[in-house]
Amino acid sequence: MSTLYVAQQGCYVKLQQEQLLIKHNDAICQRVQLPLVDQILVFGHCQLTTQALRACLQRQVSVLYLSRMGQCYGRLLPMIQGYRQLARYQQDLSEVQRLRVAKILVKAKLWNSRVLLQRQGRTRPTPGIAQAVGQLAILIRQVNEARDNAALMGIEGAGAAAYFTALGDCFVQPGFTFTERNRRPPRDPVNAMLSFGYQVLWNHLYSLIEAQNLDPYEACLHQGSRKHAALVSDLLEPFRAPLVDSLVLYLVNRKVMDPEADFEPQKGGCYLNDSGRRKYLQAFVVRMETEITSSSTLPRPRWDLLMAQVQEYKRFVYEPQTLFKPYLIR
Amino acid sequence: MLLYIVAYDIPSNRRRKKISDLLEGYGRRVQYSVFELMLSPAKYAELRRRLRRYVQMEEDSVRFYPVSKHTLDQVEIWGGVPLTQPPGSIIV
Repeated sequence: MSTLYVAQQGCYVKLQQEQLLIKHNDAICQRVQLPLVDQILVFGHCQLTTQALRACLQRQVSVLYLSRMGQCYGRLLPMIQGYRQLARYQQDLSEVQRLRVAKILVKAKLWNSRVLLQRQGRTRPTPGIAQAVGQLAILIRQVNEARDNAALMGIEGAGAAAYFTALGDCFVQPGFTFTERNRRPPRDPVNAMLSFGYQVLWNHLYSLIEAQNLDPYEACLHQGSRKHAALVSDLLEPFRAPLVDSLVLYLVNRKVMDPEADFEPQKGGCYLNDSGRRKYLQAFVVRMETEITSSSTLPRPRWDLLMAQVQEYKRFVYEPQTLFKPYLIR
Repeated sequence: MLLYIVAYDIPSNRRRKKISDLLEGYGRRVQYSVFELMLSPAKYAELRRRLRRYVQMEEDSVRFYPVSKHTLDQVEIWGGVPLTQPPGSIIV
């Protein structure tokens, strides 16, 4: 998936035939070939002309408007994408079928979190990591016994608590201490990166779900509110640790991020600033475009993992009596 | 994804402008009337469909040469811009 991120504040995007010109202070800073772009993420204060927006709509390029922190205000979609072909099948899923998928997703999330900790523990073992790895194994077994979504959410919460406590042991650079996961607002640099990372990945996943004509509001695990695109949150769960948490670990432990220069305090919290956001997005894009090989398939970029998961869900919706196969790291 | 070389010879200024604008959206100009494009099959079909509207077969000539994976390794470039790479995401 080819994405244009417009993250520099004060940019101005206009159309010139088949290209987008991105200007900053009247100087052209980038030319982008519109036919080769799948979606555009606009962060904060950047302007797109109506001509540019219309050209995007004509080419089925969706445009997302996000805050500088990565929270999505809204999406501009071509008319044709409003039709959700599979919504009827999704609504027909029974409670039993939904709970079964919800269990599979929670299990996959716990499994992937545990693998990440195990890998970290191999280079830098601590008692905290060993304890959390053991605890996660117990919780994975308990998932099968959950009677309903509430019980399942309880197990998921316990897993997250154990996992994030141990994750703190994995950050080794001064200035990046991580004691607990907090959000709205995130209170330290690591939490700021995690929040931004989940938001950005969430929005990408939303686009993929919509592109497959699934209804993002019909979910299995997160069923609380009809106003929340819960299917996106459902399918995101297995990817949090391998795609976001591990990237944040890399950015901190390899000293890509500077605890002073890349963050700013705002509204009682701690957020990425312009340079921090660009660093994160650059590393994120490199990671997502890197080709990986698993035993059964040809090398493919990590984007395909997300795509494959959405397609797997689509397949499941057509044949709900079959098993949904989640993304698991080996 | 394959590399395509597209070369054209078009006498009409108007049509040449239209066609080169379109090609600039899909690839890169490497000589005055030669483009390199790294495209998926779907994008290649889309480009050909859109180009077809402008090309007049009696007067113009547009040529498309796909470069196979095998011969891509043997491409030599003397001067000018480096070989076109597959498109990726862009951060501004």
